[in-house]
Amino acid sequence: MSMPDPMPKKTLADRLGSVDRTTLFGILILVATIPLFFTLSVPNKPFEPTIDLFAKLMSLPEGSSVIIQTDWTVSTRGESAGEMEALLRILMRRNIKFAMYSAADPQAPQVARNVIMQLNEERTKATPPQRLYERWNDWVDLGYFPNAEATNNAMAADLSKAFGGRSDVTPQGSYANVFTSPVLAKVRSVKDVPLVIIVTASSTFNVIVERLSGKVPLAATVTGVMGPESQIYHSSGQIVGLAAGLKGVFDLETMMEYGLNTPGPDGKVVVPSDSHPAIPGFPGQINFAKGKRYYPTLHATLFLLILVVVIGNIGMILARKNKT
Amino acid sequence: MSYTQIKLTLGVIATVGLYTVLYRENKFYRFFEHLFLGLAAGWTMTALWTETLKGLWWDVMVGKAGEGGAPGEPGYWAWALLLPIGLMGYFVFSRKHNWMSRVPIGIILGLWSGQQIQVWFNRYGPQIWSSMKPVVPTTGTLFAPGTIGLDKAAAAEINSQLYPSQALSNLIFITTLICVMSYFFYSFEMKNRFLRGMTTSGRWLLMIGFGAIFGSTVMMRFSLVIDRMYFIWIEWLTQGILHR
Repeated sequence: MSMPDPMPKKTLADRLGSVDRTTLFGILILVATIPLFFTLSVPNKPFEPTIDLFAKLMSLPEGSSVIIQTDWTVSTRGESAGEMEALLRILMRRNIKFAMYSAADPQAPQVARNVIMQLNEERTKATPPQRLYERWNDWVDLGYFPNAEATNNAMAADLSKAFGGRSDVTPQGSYANVFTSPVLAKVRSVKDVPLVIIVTASSTFNVIVERLSGKVPLAATVTGVMGPESQIYHSSGQIVGLAAGLKGVFDLETMMEYGLNTPGPDGKVVVPSDSHPAIPGFPGQINFAKGKRYYPTLHATLFLLILVVVIGNIGMILARKNKT
Repeated sequence: MSYTQIKLTLGVIATVGLYTVLYRENKFYRFFEHLFLGLAAGWTMTALWTETLKGLWWDVMVGKAGEGGAPGEPGYWAWALLLPIGLMGYFVFSRKHNWMSRVPIGIILGLWSGQQIQVWFNRYGPQIWSSMKPVVPTTGTLFAPGTIGLDKAAAAEINSQLYPSQALSNLIFITTLICVMSYFFYSFEMKNRFLRGMTTSGRWLLMIGFGAIFGSTVMMRFSLVIDRMYFIWIEWLTQGILHR
């Protein structure tokens, strides 16, 4: 009786090329978790388009009204929530009123309202406490518009008709037309607002550029995957500023803390820029949030990815050598 | 357990449930997938009514009765005609009457097509113009000096010059643009060695571009994982349960 063949011994090449998928996911989850418990700092040099966005937001006349198209939901919370928080912190601290609407997803208005609620909570807990950003007096919610093309077209043609049918809650609890609110009282045309900002994770960014660029200054905060294609719009001057992905969030937070062309605590300018004058940030307030928290963790996960790609390739090269 | 804790805990259970697919397809994952789909569909229907149709269509159509002597608002009953036009879209599922669905589809297509010329120019026009960049430097100084702290006139004088470093950057841009565009010439065979080199380098440059886009995509996916981990370990466990 013959003995069964023993299992062929796995070579190093085999082992490197066949790491278990579940093990890899487990390592990824560990790497994406552990750095979150530590305060790590990563050096940062903000991108020029994000510097332009910050400079534009900081140059808006105090008390003016801007329009925000918020087209993100919890599915891109990792990037879009940080962008929305940084954007609203700047607007609130500068007393800029805003009217917001969504043209991409019916869930988006509620997600945006949650961020405003969270920031208001943060403002009341601040020392000294900051005033609540009031619905109706400081911001209005225009709700959801089911078609981005038609909405942006209508806005370009006649803003008072595009938003004319919309009502929002007054401090007394009744509903009234949004154009009677302090936010939109002086606004009738898209030319009456100094800036339209889109926070998006979808192609509505292309739609708004197609319909509104050239008619009103546009700025955008987009997801990382949209970053490379969105930068073209900044290079061509179709948008005045852009923040893309987690890097965009961290850039905004860095400038909120240290300002632009402004000396830091050690007398050195942290964020220099030839294109803009000195703009102080908001030192002593909550500036660093999701961007600073997630950015070092992102580096750890990217390092893991590179390591795994290198290991896989070494395994492949060794396997080829063994065959020959 | 407070309402916030219950809400966060349910969120964590749903997150873990959906991530179990990383191990393998299972019923736990399927349950949460369907739960999410049902919630999203229900939310969408409600939000469509409360955030859009009620204010923009229903209230305008039925008008408003005057209260306390205040004048009411007249209803525009012609808006009722929009409902049958919209409902015609659903006849796309009927073999016998699917011609009716072409009415709303035709209206939408007509509106969309009418916009396209202007839309195309608005989107690509400025990009084409900004691609025309100068490549001959106007000064011998290699790099543009900094303008921080200079007065406007001095800064404008510096910015009006094209420095050799900027000219080189513009040249790289234009070379890339031409090489990539030459890759898409399929109408004739490229026999010339120089032209063949251009198309080949165009292909390489495209690959580098795609690599950069893929890198951004990977970064984004990791950001989403990191956010979920933050939700589970920091928002739920550390802040929600342990109150630290």
